[in-house]
Formats: sequence, C-alpha cells, structure tokens
Amino acid sequence: MKVTISLTVNGAQIRRDVEPRTSLADFLREELRLTATHLGCEHGVCGACTVMVDGAPARACIALAVSLDGAEIRTVEGFAEDAAMGVIKEAFHQEHGLQCGFCTPGMLISARDLIARHPEADDVGIRRAMSGNLCRCTGYQGIVRSIKSAARQLSSQGKQP
Amino acid sequence: MKPAPFSYHRATSVDDAVAALTQGAGMARILAGGQSLVPMLNLRLAPLDTVIDISRVDSLRQAHDDADSVRYGALVTHAAFEDRRVPDGSNGLMPFVAGQIAYRAVRNRGTIGGSLALADPAADWLTTLVALEGKLLIAGPEGRRAVAAADFVIGSYLTDLAENEMIEAVVVPRRSATERWGHYKVARKTGEYAESMAIALVDKARNYARLVVGATDGAPLVLEQAAQAFLDGRTDDALRVVIRDELLAAGREFSAARLTMHTTVAMRGLKGAAAK
Amino acid sequence: MSAASAPIDGDNRQGIGSSPRRNEDRRFLDGKGEYVADIRVPGMSEAVFLRSPIAHGRIRSVEVPPEHQGKVFFAADIAFAKPIVAASAAPNFQRSDYPPLAVDKVRFVGDIVAICIAPTRAEAEDIAQACVIDFEELPPIWDIDVALAPDAPLIHDHWTNNLYVETRIETGDIEAARKSAPVTVRKSLRMGRHAGVSLECRGVVAHYDRRLDELVIYSSTQFPHVIRSILAECLGVSEGKLRVIAPDVGGGFGIKNNFNPEELAIAALSLKLGQPLRWIEDRREHLIASPHAREHRYELTAYADQSGRVLALDAVVVVDAGAYSVWPWTASMEAGMSAGIMTGPYDIPIYRGVARTVCTNKSPMGPYRGVGRSGACFAIETLIDEVARSVGRDPIDVRIENMVRPESMPYRSATHKLYDSGDYPECARRTAEAIDVAAIRKRQTEVSPDGRLIGLGMASYTEQTAHGTAEWVARGLPVVFGYEPALARFTPDGKLVLFVGIQNHGQGLETTLAQVANQELAIPVADVIVRHGDSSVSPYGMGTFASRSMTMAGGAVSAACAQLAEKIRRIGAHLLQAPRDEVHLADGRVHFGTQSVAFKDVCQAAFLHPERLPEGEDPALEVNAVYQPGRSTGAFSYATHACVVAVDPGTGHTEILDYVVCHDCGTMVNPMIVEAQVVGGVAQGLGTALYEEIPYDENGQPLASTFLDYMIPGATEVPDVRVLHMETPSPHTRFGIKGMGEGGAIAPPAAVLNAVNDALRSLNAAVTETPVTPERILDAIASSAGQRVSA
Ligand SMILES: Cc1cc2nc3c(=O)[nH]c(=O)nc-3n(C[C@H](O)[C@H](O)[C@H](O)COP(=O)(O)OP(=O)(O)OC[C@H]3O[C@@H](n4cnc5c(N)ncnc54)[C@H](O)[C@@H]3O)c2cc1C
Ligand code: FES
Ligand code: FES
Repeated sequence: MKVTISLTVNGAQIRRDVEPRTSLADFLREELRLTATHLGCEHGVCGACTVMVDGAPARACIALAVSLDGAEIRTVEGFAEDAAMGVIKEAFHQEHGLQCGFCTPGMLISARDLIARHPEADDVGIRRAMSGNLCRCTGYQGIVRSIKSAARQLSSQGKQP
Repeated sequence: MKPAPFSYHRATSVDDAVAALTQGAGMARILAGGQSLVPMLNLRLAPLDTVIDISRVDSLRQAHDDADSVRYGALVTHAAFEDRRVPDGSNGLMPFVAGQIAYRAVRNRGTIGGSLALADPAADWLTTLVALEGKLLIAGPEGRRAVAAADFVIGSYLTDLAENEMIEAVVVPRRSATERWGHYKVARKTGEYAESMAIALVDKARNYARLVVGATDGAPLVLEQAAQAFLDGRTDDALRVVIRDELLAAGREFSAARLTMHTTVAMRGLKGAAAK
Repeated sequence: MSAASAPIDGDNRQGIGSSPRRNEDRRFLDGKGEYVADIRVPGMSEAVFLRSPIAHGRIRSVEVPPEHQGKVFFAADIAFAKPIVAASAAPNFQRSDYPPLAVDKVRFVGDIVAICIAPTRAEAEDIAQACVIDFEELPPIWDIDVALAPDAPLIHDHWTNNLYVETRIETGDIEAARKSAPVTVRKSLRMGRHAGVSLECRGVVAHYDRRLDELVIYSSTQFPHVIRSILAECLGVSEGKLRVIAPDVGGGFGIKNNFNPEELAIAALSLKLGQPLRWIEDRREHLIASPHAREHRYELTAYADQSGRVLALDAVVVVDAGAYSVWPWTASMEAGMSAGIMTGPYDIPIYRGVARTVCTNKSPMGPYRGVGRSGACFAIETLIDEVARSVGRDPIDVRIENMVRPESMPYRSATHKLYDSGDYPECARRTAEAIDVAAIRKRQTEVSPDGRLIGLGMASYTEQTAHGTAEWVARGLPVVFGYEPALARFTPDGKLVLFVGIQNHGQGLETTLAQVANQELAIPVADVIVRHGDSSVSPYGMGTFASRSMTMAGGAVSAACAQLAEKIRRIGAHLLQAPRDEVHLADGRVHFGTQSVAFKDVCQAAFLHPERLPEGEDPALEVNAVYQPGRSTGAFSYATHACVVAVDPGTGHTEILDYVVCHDCGTMVNPMIVEAQVVGGVAQGLGTALYEEIPYDENGQPLASTFLDYMIPGATEVPDVRVLHMETPSPHTRFGIKGMGEGGAIAPPAAVLNAVNDALRSLNAAVTETPVTPERILDAIASSAGQRVSA
C-alpha cells in the first residue's frame, strides 16, 4: 500500500505517494528523474548515492523514502548555485579528480561536508573521511588533491560551505 | 536489489511500537537508522511483512546525564557520539569508538540501539558496551526491564530480545576518572567491520582491569584471567600465553590465524590502556 | 604511417605533451552525465534475470505462479536468438555454446534461466523470487583439480574433457638447459579469482524505433559497433536495422568489453515483444555473474647460472576460465596471453610455456585491465626474486642484469613478440633510485618500534599495446581489431566535431583526441567536440580496450585533421590573398603576417559560401581517415614498480608505505591523464594484490557476492603513488604514442607479493597466493614456525 509523503528536494516542495519499499535513491532517480544520484551497490558501501538529508550526508540507497516524510533532501543537482560547491567542482576539474564520473556526485557531497566540518584536514584526514566513497578509476590521488585545493581556496576566501 | 513488499507503520511512541511488534507476530521489525536493516531488505535477506519506523519517537533521541551513569535513547546516532553532541561518561572511549564505525554518511543515520539489536559479533558498540558494563533498557508489552549488555548478546546475531520487545535506551555507568582505556581494532579496510577488536579498561589506582575481545564469531569474550594476569604484572610473553589459553578455552574454534590475531589485538588493547 | 615530427605550425600549448583540463568534466560535475540506468523510454518495462542458484544442473521445470504467467520468458521464447560462440582458431579448441537463456542446463551460479518483466525492478524481482526451478543437480566442478580429474563429469556434454584448450610455445632446447644449468629454481603460485567491478554495473535498454525501423540498444559497453555486428549475427537481423549506443559508461576495465548473454537476451526479448525493456545489473549480479578476472595457477622453473642470469624458463599456466568462452576473446585468452608474454622484459632465450584453459562451473572469465599480463608479471617477477635469493644477490641487480638491453631493440622475445623500443634497465634503475633502496635495506636491519616488518618489492613488465592486424590474426579471434577510423567535420561556425569509433569511459578521450586535433590544426581544445559510442553516429570502429584508443584513434584523428589543415590553409590563404605556403595556423585562425582569418570564416566559406573558395576547391570541410600503425606487432610500453610495505606479524596486516612507478608509454599526449591512468591502474592492481577475491565453495557457490564480503580498495588503502615518466617514442605509431591504459594494474600483485615476502624473510615465511590477506600471511608465518619446530 502506498503512503503519502511530503518532503523538500533541492528546495522544491514535493508530495508523492510511495511504496514503503522505495529507497530514497529510487525515489529521486525514478520518481523525480534526478539521476545525478548514482547507484553503485545498493547496500550502503560504495557511497555513489550519497546525498544530503537534513544537512548531513546519507546513503540514499539505504534510506527509505517513506521514512523521510518532512525531510529536506539535497542532491548534486541542488548545489548548482552553491558557491562552495562551485569551488569544489572547479578543483575537481583542475586537479583531475574524476575519470568516468560515476562516483563523482557522491564524492562532491562528501567532500563538501568534509570541508565544512574539517576545513583544515590533511591528506590522511581527507583519505579517512573519504574512505566511504569508492572510486574505481582514479586511485583517489586526484580526488585528495582536489579536496585539499578546494579547502585551501575556500578558507583563503573566508568562505565556509 | 530491491526489497520485497512490506507495510509501513510510523510509531508514535515506544508503547505504540511495542504494540505494533506484538501485532506483527514475529514478522514485524523495527526500523531505526536503517543502516543494517535496509541493506538486508535490499538483498532480500530479512523476511518481514511490516516495518515499524521508530525514527519519529523523539524521546528515543534524548540522552540524560545522571549522577553515576549516562542514559542514551536507542536512536542516538553514531555521529552524535562522535561529535560529542551527547554526554560522555566513558573518558572519551564512546566518542572514539563511534568515529571508527563505518563512514560518516552511515554514522549520521546509524543508531546505537540498532547496532546492539542486530548483535553482529563484529560490530563496535557490542564489544564497547560489554567492556563498559553497560545495560540495556528494554520495553515490551509487559513493561520495562533492564539487562546487562554482557547478558543481552547470546551469540552471533542472537539476543535476549523477545520478538515483541525493543531497546529503549542504553545506560552506561560513569567510569572512574582515573581509569584509562585502550582500544585496538583490525579491519581489512577503513570503516569495515572488525576482524578483531579489543577494549581494555585499566584503573591502576583501583587495581582494576577489564579486557574484552570482540568479533569472535559470537558474544564478545571477557578475558578475566588475562586482566588479572595483567594486574599481576606478568611479562608480555606470559600474558600472551594467558590470553591465548583463555581465548582457546572459549571454545570458538578459532583458526590458528584468528587466534594469533585476537591474541595480538587483546595484548595491544591492554598495552594501549597501560600506556596512557 | 610511421612516426613523424610534429607539424610545424601546430600550436603546442594544448597539443601533444600538454595537460589541458578535460572537456568532459563539466557534465559529470554537474550531475548531467547520462549512464544507461538514467535512460528511460516511454512504455519501458524493467527486466530481471532469474538466475541459477546452483552451479551445475539440468532444468527439469520452472514453476511460474499463475499471477505471473506471461511475465516470465524462457529460452524457447527467444529461440530465434543464436547462442554466443567464441571459438578460438587454436587446434582442438572445444567450443561452448553460450545461450542467452539456459536451454536445458545451468553451468554456474548466476547462469540465466529466464527473464521476468514488470513495470518496476522491485516487482520484477518479486516475480523472479516467486518462480521455483526444479533441477536435477549435477556434481559441481568448482575447482581446476576437480575439473581435470579423470572421471570428472562434463560441463559441456559433447566435450571429451573439461579443457577448453592447451597451447604451447617452445623456443630453444629446454631439456638441454635443464641438464646443464647450475641453478634451478621452482615456484608454484596462485592468483585468486576476482571481479572487475566498474563502479557502474552493466546495463542494457532496448526499444524499437518505429520511424527508423530499427532496434535501438543502449548498453554500458566499451565497443558499441562490434556489439552491433555480433548482435545482428545472433539475432539474425541486418546491421542496418540495429543501432547500438554506449552512453556515458561508468568504468569498463574489460568487463564491458564482452558480448554478454544479457545484451542478447534483452535485445531478443524486446524485439520479440515489441516492448521497450531495461535491465540494470545490480552489484550482486555483477559479482557473481559478470565475467570474472584472473584465477591463475603457475608452475614455474627457472634455469640460471651462478650470477642469477636466467638461461631458460619452463612455465605452466593454468587458468580457470569458468563455464563459457566469452565473445570475442575466447576462453583461452587469459592463459594464452600470460604464456605469450611470460619472459616479460627479460632476455631469456630458451622458453617452454604451456597454457591450459580449464572449464568449471563458475562465471566465465573475461578480460580485465592487464589481462594475462598481470599474471605473467606476477609469475616471472616473483620467480626472479627467488632466483636472486638462491644465488645470494639482491633481486634488483639480478632483475636489471637479466633485462633486454636498449641496444638490442627491436628485440624478438622467446615468446615471438617484437619489442619495439625502450630502455628497460634504466627504468628499473630510476625506480630503485626513487624508492631509495639503500635506505630501505638499512631500515630493515633496524628493529621497528611497532614490531612490523619492512619489505621492498619490485616488479617490471613490458606490455604489448595498440597491436593491430598481425597480432589479432595470430591470436585466432573471431574479430581482427586492426584499425580505427575518425571522421573530422567542421561546423559552419568553426567548431570541429570528431566522430570516432572508440568509446570513452573515463580515459579522457574527449580531451586527448581534441589535443591531437589541436596538434594538427591549432584549434583550441575547447572548440573540439568528440562524438563516440553510437553506431549510427560514428564511423565503424573497434572500441576502447587493449590500451589501443589513444594510439589508434589518435592516429586516425591526426590523419583526418592533417588533411583538413591543408584545406584550411588553402582556403585561408585564398581569403587572405596570401601565398599558400606563407600562411600558418595558430589559435584557431589562419595567419599571414599580421593578418588573419578565423576558422569560422574559413568554415563559412566552405559550407555556406562556396563562391568564396579558391577555384577548384571542393566545398565542405570534412575528412574521414582510417589508421593502422606502421607495424601491427604492437608498441611496447613498460614500467618498473616498487613498493615498500610494513607487515604486521601479529595481525597479518599489510600497509603500503611507499609506491613508485617509473614507466614509459612513448610520447605522452596528456601527462596529467597519463599519470592518473597509472595511479588508477595501480589502485586496481592493489585490489588484486591485497583485497579482491571471489572464492568458491565445494558446491560451486561464490563466497563473495556483496561489497561486505568483496572489498575494493578505498582512499585509505591506496597510497600516494609517485610516478616517473620516460618517453621513448614508438617507431611504429603516429607521434610515437604507445598505449598505457592497462599498465598500472599489471605489476602491483607481483610488487606487493615480493615486498611482503621480503618482509617475511626474517621469519622464513613466504606467501604464494593473491590476494595477500591477513589470514594468508598469518598462515604462512604459522607454517614456517611449524617447520622450524619440527625441523
Ligand atoms: C557500509 C557500512 C559499514 C558498516 N560498518 C560498521 C562497522 O564498522 N562497525 C559497526 O559496528 N557497524 C557498522 N555498520 C552498521 C551500522 O553501524 C548500523 O548503523 C548499525 O549496525 C545498525 O543501526 P541502525 O540504527 O541503522 O539499525 P537498523 O538498520 O534500523 O536496524 C538494525 C536491526 O536492529 C533492529 N532494531 C533497530 N533498532 C532497534 C531497537 N531500538 N530495538 C530493537 N530492535 C531494533 C532492527 O529491527 C534491525 O533488525 C556498517 C553499516 C554499513 C552500511
Ligand atoms: S549505492 Fe548507496 S552506498 Fe552504494
Ligand atoms: S571516476 Fe570512475 S568511479 Fe570514480
């Protein structure tokens, strides 16, 4: 039996009937056609589906949409105008932080959260904090460089995500 | 990898959740953070027909600081411990452990109650709560009861929880200010479940030591002889033998490699506490 | 065409050798990449495969609950689809028919029994779960030894045994070497079976385009054109009625370089039902049923002199290739390639290699980054270490002394490969210097405070890349991947569109091919659009694999653009009223002294104003070129990797403390991308070395089917890799480019195993199997301790 939920997605008020078994990821991807949120495992390990739920990163593949009634969701699409995310994306571009791009949306969400919480993180800290986002292409080196560079730029501009 | 259909009940209170569990007659399960349950649902490994979502029961998110213990609602998340958004009576052990569980995105949603209820032998909270001599407050149709963490876990994924009971809170006694903790976890990768983990609590002032080894294919093992041998000031080699023998005596059929690993980890847990 | 110097008027700032940032990044960063799972077609149903839960059995019947009748489809429903047959031309190759849906027998856990369709994936899974398959179970052939046992049940009923094929290479007199060599070293090794694990799983969407009267297949594939050819053959329809599109592909690594039964089954059923279908592989399916990687066993004997110079090598490679031969590579590719490059960078004149490919009840073995070379390197490099130890020398010296000398290039190996160019010893020396061997050897003599043991391991390889017709013909495959096309077409407003037959899934080809265009035309990289991955858009090409795309498609783009450059100069000179040979191209303009015209003006003339063209000049600006390397025996890239590990004898854990790669891939088109490809490859190689494995139990059940039990390296498991570059241009290719996409993944298993064993030497213990898990290390330590006790 479907359940009605209302929630905010990227600033828009959404009201939909969902099957209880629908994950947030499938809700975003199939129902709202927001396909930046990728699925790499559907059991919480790879981080490709990472989105912001009420201001904190969460795995969209193992969150049930029905349980998120009233929540505020933000996906990579919802950060199009975000200044800090703009800096992070540019850093990923400059520092070659992506290859096939499949892990990238999840990486960006986690990176932004990391920079917000630990703007001064060093290489080891960045690697630890990003260890829940798997990338099969880059070997992470470019990603670590990108995050370091973005954090440096944001802090020198006095900007915090 | 999508779940089989189920119906959904959003619990309004603990009593409401317990009533729904009772009504579900074994085919209903609590959804807390969903970080273990939903993967199992996605993999179709958790047969159930009703999910009882307790995430809106606000009382379960609270933590209370009492004189000789701290009480955490079942829904306190790993991240809340990590960020010290809840009081700590463990000299920093609980925030430290929390920060080692999985990854931030999982810690933001995963809860202490869910972790304990699952009783994965390799999970971090289980070993930690046994080490800290914590208690679980359990709500059922007949009311509330308390059970020591050490008695709560019966084996791998097996607990003392009846099918219509749920964890309401976890109570952790305040540890003495002179106590030091040691923690050692080995996992194949960052954020993975432990292959072996040990927590040692040492209070030299009180001549007290406690050593617990987790990820042992069953309930965490409390190594009392080893703790005593440590207090007795036995040499490292002798201590290693005591640990090994005590692990063997637990009858868990460890392979030689596992036994070495657990022995090392237990030693390092003790050393870590002693070094502080 | 052979190597040529760069065009005189190339604007080199974005051309070959520079590192402009990637054209393709923007869409991915904005979340606008479009992968197959993002594609939706009106009226589409979701398809789920009902897969075999058992390893080996005959299907007696399948019970479909009444409410699901009509939603479950079997082999008989798509009987017109022919089985996939990947037969090698090797004599005595026993061929497997790989049907899109199992006909009467299942041959591995994950083999497809039926297709279930429903409006959503969840509902389709409900249907699959409700179906009950009645099997007559057959004994599972879960291991090489079980398969080769004399009375083993046959996986393919018409075969004579469970061996796809055995091939051999014999060069020189191995028996004589055996009798005369002063030093004999033997080694048995194993490489675990694992999966490819692109972060995006596979997927297929099929629908009928009524207007064009064609079946459209979106597939997450590395070679859409070739898929169209084989699909046409298996479906019995004309290629003119098929369009195959590879949209954005989230990593390939070889696993998406096969024609899979899933592609055929979805296409066939969609055609039959006239119904758009989508199948998106989930991670469990990927781990158990996508083509697997590795699972090699080696029996090696080296015959050497007292100094450690290897005189002869005797190698037996046995590969567990699983239940079916994958198209187009054939089951024997893995073992054959391993035996075929076994002597690696070494000058070993006498060689006997036996490659045995065994059929078992496991998911078929397919290509995975590095293919057989990863195993060959693992074998020869651990053997070289052993040879060095047995003559009491440091492996680094023995390694270098055994290498093919630069003055011997081109060099024909005992495995009949023609190494084109390079300085292998220098590469090894630079690596040794960068990792600072002396400092590590010193550190090893000191007691480490945490009790961990330090080890240093090195591994070198040479890798055939961008091989063309001759090599593929020699391998006897169903398709000969000899060339690559490019269609270069300007737009009337002066942008260049390159239509290519390769497929970009992370390699940066939308940028590096633009750099080649820049090299020829001095057009800004941002003005170049690369279109690929669509059989109806690009000229027919082979796709991206075998470290070939940059060399092959780069050569084609260069050839096409060089012709365009000529024409632009002619038109530009005419517009500028300048002599033809006094104009040059720079910054997207034709220059004559201080005057210039933009390409846009040239294009306007070419497309919209032919009256402005010089007399006799054809309108339009479009050239189609096809490229084959000057020699098709391959451009050989090579490298030496070195790593330093700390092994914890108490927990069996290995930490990589340092990792250095010195490599030579000829002329580098974009050093930033080259370096990142190396690093990414190393990360994957470390997965093979330390983490990734799908063991099978005695029932033929795969024991790793989720990311909880199958581990790929994360950010904390991959060290900062230090990459050093050498550049020896290949004499056979345009610009001297050599392929390099796979190389990074080749050496890590060998380097890591050598390093771990170096660390364990003080305990007299050694590991001989990947992945080098804590369990294996602890077991090795325990068994050597046991030997010490009993000795
Ligand atoms: C990628 C990944 C890595 C992980 N790594 C680790 C790790 O290293 N260490 C570790 O310890 N854990 C790890 N976890 C598990 C994580 O800590 C989970 O959050 C936790 O085990 C379950 O908590 P939850 O709140 O999400 O519970 P849920 O998933 O909601 O529930 C888990 C189980 O407990 C039951 N349950 C939940 N709450 C209650 C309650 N109050 N009373 C009774 N029953 C209840 C549910 O019915 C269910 O059976 C990992 C998880 C993931 C996805
Ligand atoms: S898809 Fe959600 S964590 Fe992998
Ligand atoms: S860029 Fe391909 S998975 Fe990260």
